Amino acid sequence: MSGGAFTAFLESGVRFATPLAYAALGELVVERAGVINIGLEGAIICGAFGALIAAGTGSVWLGFAGAALAGVLLAAIFAFFVVTLKTDQIITGTAMSMLGLGLTGTLYRTMYGTAGASLHIATIAPAPVPGLSAIPVIGRAFFDQPVVTYALYAIVPALAWWFYRTTGGLALRAVGEHPEAARGAGISPSRVQWAALLFGGAMGGISGGTLVLAQVGTFAEGMSAGRGFIAIAIVVLGRWTPFGVAGAALLFGAASALQTLAQTMGWGMPYQLPLAFPYLLTLVLLASTRGRTASPAALGQRPA
Amino acid sequence: MLNNSVIHYRTVRIFALLTVLNIAVGISAACGGARDSAVGGAKSFKVALLTPGPISDQSWNGSAYAGLMRIKDSIPGAQVSHIQTKTPAEFEENFRQYGAAGYSLVIGHGFEFQDAAARVGPEFPKTIYITTGGNTVGANFGAMSFAFEEPSYIAGIIAGAMTKSGTVGCIGGTELPPVKAAFEAFTAGAKSVNPKVNVIVSYIGNWEDASAGKEQALAQLGRGADVIFQDADAAGLGAFQAVRESKHAYIIGSNADQNAVAPEVTLGSVVIDIPHAFMVVANEVNGGHFKPRIVKLDMRLDVVRWTVNPALAAQIPAAAAHAVDSVRTQMLAGQFTIPAATLTK
Repeated sequence: MSGGAFTAFLESGVRFATPLAYAALGELVVERAGVINIGLEGAIICGAFGALIAAGTGSVWLGFAGAALAGVLLAAIFAFFVVTLKTDQIITGTAMSMLGLGLTGTLYRTMYGTAGASLHIATIAPAPVPGLSAIPVIGRAFFDQPVVTYALYAIVPALAWWFYRTTGGLALRAVGEHPEAARGAGISPSRVQWAALLFGGAMGGISGGTLVLAQVGTFAEGMSAGRGFIAIAIVVLGRWTPFGVAGAALLFGAASALQTLAQTMGWGMPYQLPLAFPYLLTLVLLASTRGRTASPAALGQRPA
Repeated sequence: MLNNSVIHYRTVRIFALLTVLNIAVGISAACGGARDSAVGGAKSFKVALLTPGPISDQSWNGSAYAGLMRIKDSIPGAQVSHIQTKTPAEFEENFRQYGAAGYSLVIGHGFEFQDAAARVGPEFPKTIYITTGGNTVGANFGAMSFAFEEPSYIAGIIAGAMTKSGTVGCIGGTELPPVKAAFEAFTAGAKSVNPKVNVIVSYIGNWEDASAGKEQALAQLGRGADVIFQDADAAGLGAFQAVRESKHAYIIGSNADQNAVAPEVTLGSVVIDIPHAFMVVANEVNGGHFKPRIVKLDMRLDVVRWTVNPALAAQIPAAAAHAVDSVRTQMLAGQFTIPAATLTK
């Protein structure tokens, strides 16, 4: 493989990873608070749709705001059921995914008819960072990307710092590990979980917004295409730490990029095999980390 | 831990509520306002359409919905219904529902519906089940077969003549037999004018992931492809976006006339006039003279065609345009056999 092809592969990997990283980092915070939100897929597709509507103003940044807001709204419904009414997390989350996919499809057809939205949604172009983007091999992959990707470079260390160095982060982890003890220490588990879920919804929404505003330039029904579920696996793969999750998202993105590359190389394999790369990799890694689980102790439990 | 194992009555209640909510949204999404009452006096002719994907894809599913609307508008007394399905279990279930509801014609929009048609057909002998694509025929079920290869071959001629790099690409949603056949015909067409042309074939793995569609196109562009033939419905919109941004490549639309999606880079579209095809079958069924068979729909019936994008027609070399005219004339006379071509994977 030539150097140019390798750089193109890395660039593609980072593009694949960006929406996954947003969704997975949001889910990470949610799971650290002891909640598993299977409805993340719904937040992503709502975010994509919110981005489409808000970008109609002509502003990409309002588009991202609309994406985050749409994700927050769906997360609020989930939080109301799961945290306030204490319903089963898996069942409610599944319902949220279905609701998000069905609702956006209905609204899209109502508003745009069968002609659909055109490809001419305002999008953000890659903004090369002077100097850094000239680094050989990895420069263009990491520093010739849209600004949303760069934002992750700040969000990941900020989350790590917040988790382990602030009282807020401590409260979050306490709720996820031992909600009774947290309550004893004067922390309201439901308030922490509400906040975590709204943050997770915003991140899921931005993930969907990235698909529309930084990649495709239009909306398609079901365009989230399972990213919400992959993001949940990425959280496990990243062992519930911000840097781990970012790394796992990047790895999954790279495996997806390898798949597109493999298909164009004419290596003579059936196309289903490269398409399965990312999933096979996830399975292998999950199986090889078995027995050393790092999941929050109270994850998925219904509060008393 | 105890309250994890006990199903709380409130959970059950709320789950029921959510389920109802979801079903309500699903139904409104599926029907899209397609249920209309019959015109008073005329005899009732009920037609249902099952699509495998969203009708807002500006391609395969969108043109089927347009076909359903044309039936509703052109046949007096026609009542129509549409539902979007995903899994083979749903195909059968919805075929049964429409059979039980006394529908005259039920269209499963794709090759993948044929097994369900063969299974459910015998249960509802008064309903005609038709799949678009497929080769299964029985007492009350059959298939429309589009000669999509004919215009795909023509698209190949154009691509073979337009490429400067000598590499062209095909991007499909999944490797359905009609998609593969179209790519083979496209390859044969490209090689007919450019024997050394290299054809890359990639599949996205689904028909919705527009972002992945863009990445597949970018990977092909990165390998030097400068003309891309996409047949990927909504996911194909991402390929259009990739080609638009590349500023040095062209793309070819499929199923519907997609020339308006990105007119500055779209050479033309391999069109199936699905509304026309649906009308052919619906008129036969409505008139009571439909014979279950493979309904062959080709360029001679003007159901499939190559539609050049007028904005870029001037850029197509005269020799290629001439070759296209010659091939088209032979196809219209039924005298053209598309040479076999193997796809390099």
